[in-house]
Amino acid sequence: MLRKASLFPEEMLEHVLSFITSDKDRNAVSLVCKSWYEIERWCRKRIFVGNCYAVRPEMVIRRFPELRSVELKGKPHFADFDLVPDGWGGCVYPWIAALATAYPLLEEIKLKRMVVSDESLEVIAKSFKNFKVLVLSSCEGFSTDGLAAVAANCRNLRGLDLRESEVDDPSGQWLSRFPGSFTSLASLNISCLGAEVSFSALERLVGRCPDLKTLRLNHAVPLDKLANLLRGAPQLVELGTGAYSAELQPDVFSNLAGAFSGCKELRSLSGFWNVFPGYLPAVYPVCSGLTSLNLRDANIQGADLINLVSQCRSLQRLWVLDYIEDSGLKALAACCKDLTELRVFPSDPYGAEPNVSLTERGLVSVSEGCPKLQSVLYFCRQMTNAALVTIAKNSPRMTCFRLCIIEPRAPDYQTLQPLDLGFGAIVENYMDLRRLSLSGLLTDRVFEYIGTYAKKLEMLSVAFAGDSDLGLHHVLSGCEKLCKLEIRDCPFGDNALLANAAKLETMRSLWMSSCSVSFRACKLLGQKMPRLNVEVIDERGPPDLRPENCPVEKLYIYRTIAGPRFDMPGFVWTMDGDSV
Amino acid sequence: MELQLGLPLPTHNFIENFDLNNDGFDPKDDMVGLKPWNCEDGYLGNKRSFEVAFGKNIKGGSQELPLLSWSGQPNDEDDWKGEKKISCSINMNDEEENQVVGWPPIKSWRKKMLHHQHQGAHVVNRNYRMVTGNHENGAGSNTRYVKVKMEGVAITRKIDLRHYNSYQTLTNSLTSKFAKCQNLEKDAAHFTLTYQDRDGDWLIAGDVPWQTFTESVQRLEIVRNAG
Repeated sequence: MLRKASLFPEEMLEHVLSFITSDKDRNAVSLVCKSWYEIERWCRKRIFVGNCYAVRPEMVIRRFPELRSVELKGKPHFADFDLVPDGWGGCVYPWIAALATAYPLLEEIKLKRMVVSDESLEVIAKSFKNFKVLVLSSCEGFSTDGLAAVAANCRNLRGLDLRESEVDDPSGQWLSRFPGSFTSLASLNISCLGAEVSFSALERLVGRCPDLKTLRLNHAVPLDKLANLLRGAPQLVELGTGAYSAELQPDVFSNLAGAFSGCKELRSLSGFWNVFPGYLPAVYPVCSGLTSLNLRDANIQGADLINLVSQCRSLQRLWVLDYIEDSGLKALAACCKDLTELRVFPSDPYGAEPNVSLTERGLVSVSEGCPKLQSVLYFCRQMTNAALVTIAKNSPRMTCFRLCIIEPRAPDYQTLQPLDLGFGAIVENYMDLRRLSLSGLLTDRVFEYIGTYAKKLEMLSVAFAGDSDLGLHHVLSGCEKLCKLEIRDCPFGDNALLANAAKLETMRSLWMSSCSVSFRACKLLGQKMPRLNVEVIDERGPPDLRPENCPVEKLYIYRTIAGPRFDMPGFVWTMDGDSV
Repeated sequence: MELQLGLPLPTHNFIENFDLNNDGFDPKDDMVGLKPWNCEDGYLGNKRSFEVAFGKNIKGGSQELPLLSWSGQPNDEDDWKGEKKISCSINMNDEEENQVVGWPPIKSWRKKMLHHQHQGAHVVNRNYRMVTGNHENGAGSNTRYVKVKMEGVAITRKIDLRHYNSYQTLTNSLTSKFAKCQNLEKDAAHFTLTYQDRDGDWLIAGDVPWQTFTESVQRLEIVRNAG
């Protein structure tokens, strides 16, 4: 017999909920009924806000009084490629100030693509007595002064990860600000820093933190010092080397090889700036246990590269430059049967001619040899529909497929046809595809396939593709789970956007730049859809000084319950009821 | 490679579904009660139809309220195409005609790093102030890249001269890099390694001491011997 939910003891429900940690599940729980909503919100410990402008900090604080971990994302993804002008927004300070007052027991802050000032870091350092983890991914706006504050004040810090952030880095002295009594560090990623860090401070820090599992150094740590660090931390699981070159000296080599041999737990390697190939064999002792290898900064070529990769039979993730070429990928396919993720980056993306022999055949080999392949990012200069169809059939587990053919609008180089059929096979065969990036010559047809088949697609990136609004319409009307759509240089205009306006409220965001959406359509959208922020980004000046049917330069639309934001720079306008 | 290029597509006409005058309407599209938008009406011309659109309650509760209905007419006259953009065209920066902003999609700070790598300057991370300037391949830089071209081969490679300490190690490496292209190993005697020095002259490699060679070489080319 059905009992009212409130008769179920709260404590029991809370206990059950403590095992439910995924955001989606937590969100679902909160929708069951009012009392579950209440119980859930009081015991939610972590929150992920995919767009910092979708909600105001006060709203989060009001709903979730007991948070211990907050994750925020700021700028749209295309900011990584210089498409979002500086000063657009994403400043984290208002959030930090609000969190500091509301959550004295906060332990984790993770930020991506946000502007973080030294002041924000100082507030973090001084407000949270039990602060444990700070992750700043692709952030900017701070210096090592801010880091010094964190080092000096966060007595229980376990993780400091600055991955890919831009740090103003006048000196490496900040590392010395960790007190001598500080021993809790488990993870340190300073690979993005420019200046030398004080090596002795680093060595002492590494030596006194027995839980240190992840250490990603910056290029300024020289190779001959690496062995000392490794001997001080044989328990390391993840290592990013510094510069990997020195004059070849037998004693330096054997010291290094010995140090690596001592690291029995090592599973992930990265770094390798300025590789001197003679030193590569020093890592061979750990290769058979490696599950992750990141050589994207390593200028290793030919046999040196293939020899290294062939030693890594347990590899699950490989990031590498296109120096690996088709031959290296064939070798990879033959040895690394557990491979789940491959990223191949271009060594010379702006060169007019290819500088390496990396073609569609390399990716085909990997798809043939590695049945567990789930995630691909592949930069190349040529592709065929036939290759894509083969790749589509070989890798049923693919969840993330990003292909970047370097020349915009490049057709199938054998048939000179668009690559619609190839990508069509991709979306038809990859039943679990969540993320897709397109490139090459593509007509509206490919979007028809995507709208028809890509039912689990959450993120789609499109550039230089399509013929008409029909293309955009197919995607917006067909992709039921679409969350993020980013488009540049496509002939998509007002019709599809306005016809699918309601869809936009079911997505996190839509970015369109160098397309054909008129200012008039933006105004209309902003006026009619109060729960969307329609931001027109235009560095040419106020859009109302031009004819209404003029296309806007850039358009960023996102759903929000926070209303229009007030921190916009002069080149961003939010369309709302007042602007029409 | 297996070829199968015919993809089974749904046979119904996508456009028909969104023409509201068509009785064969797919109910799950929930675009009920809206007049088809007709470009002759002008964009905001028929205000009442928009009121109607937003006044209607859609069945099933899910609010699919398009601001205009899809009439299946892509690229009506209001759409932008080619020449029509002239009246308010975006200023294209002519100097950058060869490089589209943000393409290929690699992270902006890596662009700077790659740029420096190819200039032969010290490969630093992206904190730009650390870069000691756009100097030539001189002492103090850790890399010394030169292009290597082989006659008859499309791909120009780049090598870092610092990886080699003699002509022998250099030619061994080049042989293995280019071997698959031209049977270089077998016919080694038929090829000569030449280089362009600082003055722009093309010389045969091997005549000067290795150190002198590395300081002056700008690029390499492997040429077939005549006859």
